[in-house]
Amino acid sequence: MPDRVTLRVPDPEAAARALWADNEATSRERLIQRAIAAGATLVAGGVVIAGLPRLAASAQSPEQDVEIFNFALLLEYTQAAFYAETVERAELTGELFEFAKVVANHERAHVDYLLEALGSDARDEPVTDFGNATGDPDAFGPAAATLEDVAVAAYNGQAANLTKGALQAAATIISVDARHAAWIRSIIGEPPAADAVDAPLTAEEATSRLAETGFLPEEQL
Amino acid sequence: MTLHDFDDLRLDHLDRDGALRQAADNLERTSRAGFLAVAAGSVAAAAALARPQAASAQLATSDVAILNYALTLEYLQDAFYTEAERKGALSGPAAQLARVVGAVERAHVKALRNVLGKKAVKRPFFDFRGVTEDPPQFTRTAVAFEDLGTAAYKGQAHRIKSPEVLAAAVGIHSVEARHAAWIRYIAGTPPAAEPFDEGKAMPETLRLVRATGFVVGRPRTGARGAPRFTG
Repeated sequence: MPDRVTLRVPDPEAAARALWADNEATSRERLIQRAIAAGATLVAGGVVIAGLPRLAASAQSPEQDVEIFNFALLLEYTQAAFYAETVERAELTGELFEFAKVVANHERAHVDYLLEALGSDARDEPVTDFGNATGDPDAFGPAAATLEDVAVAAYNGQAANLTKGALQAAATIISVDARHAAWIRSIIGEPPAADAVDAPLTAEEATSRLAETGFLPEEQL
Repeated sequence: MTLHDFDDLRLDHLDRDGALRQAADNLERTSRAGFLAVAAGSVAAAAALARPQAASAQLATSDVAILNYALTLEYLQDAFYTEAERKGALSGPAAQLARVVGAVERAHVKALRNVLGKKAVKRPFFDFRGVTEDPPQFTRTAVAFEDLGTAAYKGQAHRIKSPEVLAAAVGIHSVEARHAAWIRYIAGTPPAAEPFDEGKAMPETLRLVRATGFVVGRPRTGARGAPRFTG
């Protein structure tokens, strides 16, 4: 278990002071910030879903950590519910079921960790509907691979937006989800590691990938 | 399984060509130095790695040190899988893994050298002492290398200044974790043993790499098992 990160939203006065300090930044720093902002618009198309930061937002902050961790919590809640239901239904067998049992525990631990980090800022648990994907072996494998791949790509896409402490904590989860992805892909005969670099997803891309699964009602995304 | 299990493979505790020690010294020196975080326009990992000439002059000194540390580990993996494929002693899933992962690690080396330009550390010499020709030893070593690679990237991620370099590093980090799970699956050992993967700091990583004795001072001459000239 990594050290707990603090994600408390600072008081408005502190936020105002930070803004003030920003105004007094050197011209070089302002130039750099503008360059980052320009790049971010280019990458993310300027579209921000659900208030999440753009891919290359410049200023990390505890408030932004809260938003990102809440997005991560949505992904982990979905995974945890998916595997918990699979274990409960107990319709899978062999290594698929072994995988589901082990990973169910991991995803529950990830949810618990994010809940602890977020405290009262944590979002509600989403309502999920996995249909037959938690009981049909042919549907389970691809669904699990998608959920794990999307989680890895979503975390990777937010890495530069997290404060350093939050990034350090998130990284302990990212590689475990990547291991899950490679594990389930090995079981179902898909390439476990298809690319040299895992491409990141922006928040909007990850959200739309999640929407495509149909596991979550649209209003929860 | 960790590299601690490789004590029986230890032939040489010395970093004879000094490459690893130099990398450690560089990091030690630069981590205390001031830095300027340089803006990066696009954070897309692919773009970061595809840039033909990412000017290393614009990188913080500490980022250069971290990239060279990563490059050293990628050199090790590259050489290991490339040799395993060339020797041709593996078969089935392990042979397929060596081929695919070897190509990926070579791509990582190329990308890191590209970003670092003239600041890239030299490729050390390696002697795997037959491990690449012995399927069980190959598998054990590959598990250790990929677990270590994952932990090493994770140990540096929060220290990286450039968003562009960070994006590339986290994209490689999760691929190393995929490799680790893949080879563990082949080896019949749990692909994901714990809910959280801990990072490793640079001195610990380099100590473990040195302990393998795979890094040597000069190229090995003569084929293993060939008759020795005793004249």
